[in-house]
Amino acid sequence: MFKQGVGSFKYHVGISSLDQIATRDDRVCVLNILGGESSDVTPVGHAYSGGNVVFGTSPGRSGQVLETPVGNVPVYNNVREGLEVGHRFNCGVVYLPPSGARDGVAELIRVNPELKKIFIVTEKLSVHDSREIRAMGQQNGIDIFGGNSLGVADAWNQVRIGGALGGDSPAEALRKGSIAIFSNSGNFTTTIATYLRMAGWGTTTLISSGKDVYIHYAAPEFAFALANDARTKAAVLYAEPGGYYELDASFTKPVVACVVGRWKSKLTRAVGHAGAMAGGHDDAEAKERWFMAKFGVDDIFTPEHPVFSPMGAVVTNIAHIPLALTAVMQANAARPDFEPEGSLALKPWFGSSQGIVLPPELDLPMVTAASPYDKQIEHMNRQIGAIFPRQAMKDASGASQMDPKTQITALHGTSMLDAAQFPVESNICLSLLREPGSENERELVNAAVGAEINLSGTPALAAAQAAREAGNAPNTVLAAACSILGPRSVNRARQAVRALVEHFAEAGLRSAVDETFDLSSVQFDGAAGLFVSDQRDTKAEALLEGLQARGVKSVFVRYLRTLNGHPSADAVLAAVATTLAWEPLMRKRISLLTVETLPWWLRLFGVLIGASTDASRHRDDAFCGIPNEEIVGSRSLTEVAFTALVGSEPTPDNLFAFQTLVGLLLSNGPGTISAQGAKGAVSADGPETPERVQLNKALIGFLTHSGYAHGGNGYEGIAFLIDQFKDVGLADPGDPDHGIDLASLAGRYVAEYASYKADKKTAGSLDIRKIPGVNHPVFKDKPVNHDPREVFVRELFERREEYNVFHAYYQELVKALYETGVSRNVYCVNIDAVIAALLMKMVWQPYGEGTLSKESLETSAFTIFLYARMLGCAAEIDDHLNRGRNMDTRTPASQCQFVS
Amino acid sequence: MQITGMLHGAKLLQFAGFPTSEVLGPDASEDEIRALIGRCGSVFIKPVFKGGVGKKGKAGLLGRASDLRTALKEKERLYFVEHRVGSTVAKANGVTFEGAVPAEHEVYFSISDSTRFRAPTMTLTHHGGMDIEEVDKSLVAQIPFDALTGLKAFVVANALSELNAPKQIISPLVQQLPKLWELYHNFGMTTLELNPIRMRPDRNGRLTPVACDFKCGFDRDDPRWERLNLPNHLFAVDYSDFELEINQLRTYQGQSDVYVINPQGTILAPTFGGGANSLVTQMLGDDAIISSDFGGNPPYAKMKEVARICFKHWLKQSNVLFIIGGKSNNTDIFETFRAMADALREHFGQHGPSPLYVVAGRGGPNLIRGMGALRDTLEALGVPYRLFGFDSDMSEVINHARAVDAWMKAGGRDEVAAKLRIPVAAAA
Repeated sequence: MFKQGVGSFKYHVGISSLDQIATRDDRVCVLNILGGESSDVTPVGHAYSGGNVVFGTSPGRSGQVLETPVGNVPVYNNVREGLEVGHRFNCGVVYLPPSGARDGVAELIRVNPELKKIFIVTEKLSVHDSREIRAMGQQNGIDIFGGNSLGVADAWNQVRIGGALGGDSPAEALRKGSIAIFSNSGNFTTTIATYLRMAGWGTTTLISSGKDVYIHYAAPEFAFALANDARTKAAVLYAEPGGYYELDASFTKPVVACVVGRWKSKLTRAVGHAGAMAGGHDDAEAKERWFMAKFGVDDIFTPEHPVFSPMGAVVTNIAHIPLALTAVMQANAARPDFEPEGSLALKPWFGSSQGIVLPPELDLPMVTAASPYDKQIEHMNRQIGAIFPRQAMKDASGASQMDPKTQITALHGTSMLDAAQFPVESNICLSLLREPGSENERELVNAAVGAEINLSGTPALAAAQAAREAGNAPNTVLAAACSILGPRSVNRARQAVRALVEHFAEAGLRSAVDETFDLSSVQFDGAAGLFVSDQRDTKAEALLEGLQARGVKSVFVRYLRTLNGHPSADAVLAAVATTLAWEPLMRKRISLLTVETLPWWLRLFGVLIGASTDASRHRDDAFCGIPNEEIVGSRSLTEVAFTALVGSEPTPDNLFAFQTLVGLLLSNGPGTISAQGAKGAVSADGPETPERVQLNKALIGFLTHSGYAHGGNGYEGIAFLIDQFKDVGLADPGDPDHGIDLASLAGRYVAEYASYKADKKTAGSLDIRKIPGVNHPVFKDKPVNHDPREVFVRELFERREEYNVFHAYYQELVKALYETGVSRNVYCVNIDAVIAALLMKMVWQPYGEGTLSKESLETSAFTIFLYARMLGCAAEIDDHLNRGRNMDTRTPASQCQFVS
Repeated sequence: MQITGMLHGAKLLQFAGFPTSEVLGPDASEDEIRALIGRCGSVFIKPVFKGGVGKKGKAGLLGRASDLRTALKEKERLYFVEHRVGSTVAKANGVTFEGAVPAEHEVYFSISDSTRFRAPTMTLTHHGGMDIEEVDKSLVAQIPFDALTGLKAFVVANALSELNAPKQIISPLVQQLPKLWELYHNFGMTTLELNPIRMRPDRNGRLTPVACDFKCGFDRDDPRWERLNLPNHLFAVDYSDFELEINQLRTYQGQSDVYVINPQGTILAPTFGGGANSLVTQMLGDDAIISSDFGGNPPYAKMKEVARICFKHWLKQSNVLFIIGGKSNNTDIFETFRAMADALREHFGQHGPSPLYVVAGRGGPNLIRGMGALRDTLEALGVPYRLFGFDSDMSEVINHARAVDAWMKAGGRDEVAAKLRIPVAAAA
């Protein structure tokens, strides 16, 4: 059953000429207009077509609008509502999901008697629904395009309907000309139009037919409308295997047919287009033959073997279409519509051989892209550093990740076990620059952070000391110093970094350590005032001397030295920071924002290490007895931090133990309380306005979110070990010949613990004190358990042939617990025990000699956690600053509980 | 997705109330087989292939027995028999025993959607029992009918009259055949073929059409077939592990169609768009590992997952990662390229670098940002690459990828491996 339309078709066809397919008079209603695809595509088409969409539907969203460059398109719950308001349309566009497309077609047909055309964009329509859609269209005399169509467009009328032909800039593909395109592939519709322009051919009407089993507007009716369209001189038809549509098409104008898919006959399943399965006599070869018969040619057209007639040519490669068309048209005495716009020769826009010598035919040189892409590339190349998409970062991190199975955290992809083998200065690089850094970078950090440590005479030291004397724990003491180092204190350094990055990037600097870089190519035009003044700056001079003494390379420091005047401390710090960040910045590993904040971080790290030590140890010329010049000019940051922590200079073994501890403690993922405190502080300042986020306050957030239970608990293990070893006459914990019977020492404690536990149980109390450093909720239930982190550290020190009596004691302890039946299996020695044992080994001698009190031991145990975690939290803060949204760490009220 | 044979076909037909021959599966007991022979006089023994394998009778893969001993012997012969059609080899796993239906008339019947008539179409002849292509066209009726009203009795009656079919078969067929439309239309089929339908006489000589062989194909995009509760393993054989993994991501937003062409191939080509898929698959031939269409504007997360799975299965053996599509209309190039770049970086991070050369050809929204993201990643990974815009002939870009692959095979892979500091053993 069908309504008689135009021509002598045995089914309904309503369109007699191609110029009726997409006209300026067409008015469009879009179903599911606010859906993901439509909301991207419809505004572009609407604007290109001079505003052809009258309204759209989206159930439940009546009253909303779709914003477009030429005004808002109203949205109604359904088609009837839109009509009742007075809108009229003759074209329906279906963007519904496959399960709803058929019902959408029914709605359009039933509700709107003025409907003439439907465009179905929906992909993966079931054949069941397609056959019903076909029947509905036929009964009611509606022309349907699709499904799985990208719609139609008309370059003369500048209209596109029902899809995305031409992409986000239709005018780029659609130039007025004399060729119509009918294609089974939406993508190729646009691609062919683009190729034709290269050869000087413009277009009239373009139809993406779709390639489902049912192609509702197919080749025969296209041929009919082509014949009646005075604007169109010839057509390009792109066909894939499957279906007999093209067999019945009779053309009266020249046609280039492109048939692709011979290979598909080998496939046993459709890939891509649902209908593109060669089953019987409708495979690619058959289609080639149909067309050859229509055109009176006996072979495929190729550039080498151009076979064509005035009626047309058959190609099997879309790139041959322009040439074939020109040849066919020449045979019809027709010239291209305009001058060819380019060539289809291979033109790589981007490329690199990465230093490999390629054979000449592969080593294609880069070509400047066509306009407007050349401008876009230029613009992109000017953009410096990474830009991270913003998202809610509550409980999420782009910096750290803990593996729940091994409990090992990785910071920027580096496991804490690896970080434990880096010195502190490398871990500073890791936390903010995402890589541990080279020798040169370590020296830069040593000097720059070292220059900030001695706080003699500064308000930060006074604040810290006042907090200390009021009885605060080390985290609170450091927070006091931290609050003094507000944004204003680093403002100039920040500006200096920005200026350096901008001007040196413009000058094409590739490596920040390039000693041969020509500084005269950098033009600051009077902005040098950011870097120098006529006053001497002793801090700047000290740092410059230190950098020279260390022999570090830096284009930026070299630049400062060439300026007339005295560089400021801010400028030198900025130069160091920019040198550190240059490579990862240029590789777009980090953002410009991170680089700008780097001086602040370097200063904060120095001040916090300094403030962790009593004011009495800061003298004008030395810190903890180390002369300032040495700190800036030769010492490693690890050494200085160790001295600040313990009060005495480290032995090589102790230094290694110290860096191991810092590495192990760097981070435990975004879920830890300390990280949450830091992230909350960033979130509350609003990372979407990043320049307002107070990094020192964010560090205070971390500090306030550590305490006796989180961070300070390392002391429990130390107190336990002191208790066990107080009367055994241990001289050197690193000497394996210590003469102590560790097994019986452990046995004695276990016996005590067993009887304590029994007493508690008898008394009915379940509140049994735990032994610090043994057992772990994840590493349990095996006959013998191991914490992989402990195993790693044990093996690391075994390789170094370093002995640690405390660690050895712990191993005896877990054995004894099992052997006496206190534990059901052999508990693991956990990471806390490792930390306690390492720390104890470092401080045993000063403690024994009385230079370190029990109280300061507790402080040290807490402080070393703070040293490490401030780096890990800096990474979280920087990450949240770059990726987070304002107030993204809050919990919705619905998820909060009230407890009475 | 096809079903052939009466083992499952009989159940589907019974669902529609269409008479079928009696059928027993591979696990039928000797008593059951003996009883079936007793009732029907003889049985046909047919091997069971997964998916669809036609022309078994011609290949001698059909047994007939009128006693239990012969039946069991045929079972032994056919249980694991191999069947070759062209280059495809199928191996049977099991047999069916189908009761013979004595009849004078054999009918061919099928429904499918015809692209000539643009409607569901019935094909019918009373000269059934052989391949329909071999029957003289004048003896075959091909009748399109309205999808909204369905296959009606009068359509069948008119067709049989035109064919001058014997009078006695008309009424039973007119009664029974329209039932098959319900099965076809309501359970997501794209083809349904019964050949032969044998016209079995009852005591009074009245004929009943009995389906003696069955073939149907299902529409992958139509969930209606799930109503049939068919066992999953019926279709599982069609897919490799890789394809299954990708198929789990199959939603209507963004294509995720893949087909493994050559598990030993060396070009991994994520392809965008059905047209590009046809061109690329054709030109790369056996060098391609997969044929794919990932177009349709996939969101970032889906694209990254698709790329992750592709890399997991194939990157190690790949010489060239070839990302190719035309000038996209709506697929966001930034999203798709960034997703693939991120997946590549993560793959290198987890599994170490792999000797690779990247060639890409693409156009579309956010093209430059997308290419920029890919470039930055490849620079960071140290992988050599060439990225082409849409103004380069797509087929030449494909040829370039093939030339790079050839160079990689001829020593280039080792050079890239050396540049990436990959030990020779790991690079192989």
